[in-house]
Amino acid sequence: MKRQLLLPRLILLAVFLLLEAASLYLLNRNAELQRTWMAQGAHGFMEKVWGVSQSFRYYSSLAETNRQLAQENFLLQEQLLHFQAQLRDQYTEKQKVDSLSGYGLIPAEVIKISRNKQHNYLILNRGYQDGIQEKSGIITRNGVVGIIDAVSEHRAFAFSFQNSDISISARLGNEGSSGLLVWDGIHDNGAILKEIPLQNRYQPGDTVFTSGHSLLFPPDIPLGVAGKAKVVNGATHEIAVTLFQDFSSVRFVTVVHNRDLEEIEGFEL
Amino acid sequence: MKRNAFWKAYVLLLIAQLIISNYFRFTPYVMLSILPVMILSVPIRVNRFALLLLAFASGLLVDWLSEGLLGLNALALVPVAYARDSVLRVVFGNELIARKEDFSVNSNGIASVTMAIVMVQALFLIIYIWVDSAGSRTFLFNLVRFLASLVAGVLVSLLTLNALASETRR
Repeated sequence: MKRQLLLPRLILLAVFLLLEAASLYLLNRNAELQRTWMAQGAHGFMEKVWGVSQSFRYYSSLAETNRQLAQENFLLQEQLLHFQAQLRDQYTEKQKVDSLSGYGLIPAEVIKISRNKQHNYLILNRGYQDGIQEKSGIITRNGVVGIIDAVSEHRAFAFSFQNSDISISARLGNEGSSGLLVWDGIHDNGAILKEIPLQNRYQPGDTVFTSGHSLLFPPDIPLGVAGKAKVVNGATHEIAVTLFQDFSSVRFVTVVHNRDLEEIEGFEL
Repeated sequence: MKRNAFWKAYVLLLIAQLIISNYFRFTPYVMLSILPVMILSVPIRVNRFALLLLAFASGLLVDWLSEGLLGLNALALVPVAYARDSVLRVVFGNELIARKEDFSVNSNGIASVTMAIVMVQALFLIIYIWVDSAGSRTFLFNLVRFLASLVAGVLVSLLTLNALASETRR
């Protein structure tokens, strides 16, 4: 019964659309203004349709684009560290002091990360088969992410910087004092730079870099921006630092390993 | 006999519309058309496909024989024919369509008839003015033109409907 009613309605609609199309065709042929207007409308419509489909295509290819960007980022980071090492070597050669260079870099992807604990961790998709070693640092272009603690064949377990047991050696400004940078335990992007001598002058807004003293991380990686300071025990400053690294979106990272680590640790024994 | 009288009146009104389109151009703000009410008053027993074709042909004829844009009246009038039964259902109820009765001021009251005329006239004018301006006129101009044309159109349509009714009564 419904089908019997539906068919004439559909035919009626088709006839209606046909007559409207015929009217538009006549208008299009006989009226210049209307022709331009309709052409504009049609172009606008096509633009929208193509725009949406193009956006969808871009969106669906985002994962691949991210991967390519991460690879590109890794190569750039490698070049940057290489140039930084060269610069340091030139400088220290003049000073007749041994330089610290030679970090191996391996790109990796974070497959799991915890962020809501006091002892946060992360797992990478690379293991010793890929050349990952324990006591390696994990960095991105925005700073330090963590330290590799254990390695399996294809995975690596690491302590996140957002872990109250982790501290890294950091420097205030280009030639400022070094101290220990630790997570403040509260904020996602908050850290505290400890043990900065009182006599050291600093300005809020100064950039905090890795110092290179920890042996796990190359020097001069920007970590964050210094904020307010307070005096601790009348002897040192504790400076609040706002980190550049956004841990909520970290995915592609670079594992850095100091090739001279064992040799240097041998001296410490 | 009544049927023939209606169609005679319809043709006469079509000629009247041609005269209006060609000579009634006192102001750009008023676009006077009795085509919507002519389609509205076509007997309900007339097939809906035929009504669509009639609207298309009437619109095209007026476009062709007046100094208008070929296709503009047809474009605005075909939707009136398509929506005619729905308008009658909304204003007069389902019974009118079911019984295939024709409406009139005497049997249905002036308020209902005016409401039906306003609806078809508005539908016609919205399409006509929108396409006629083709984005070259301001919204305010189009709005004023729509309102002025609607008022004038409804008044003239009521007179037209009266003429059609008296013609078919003869």
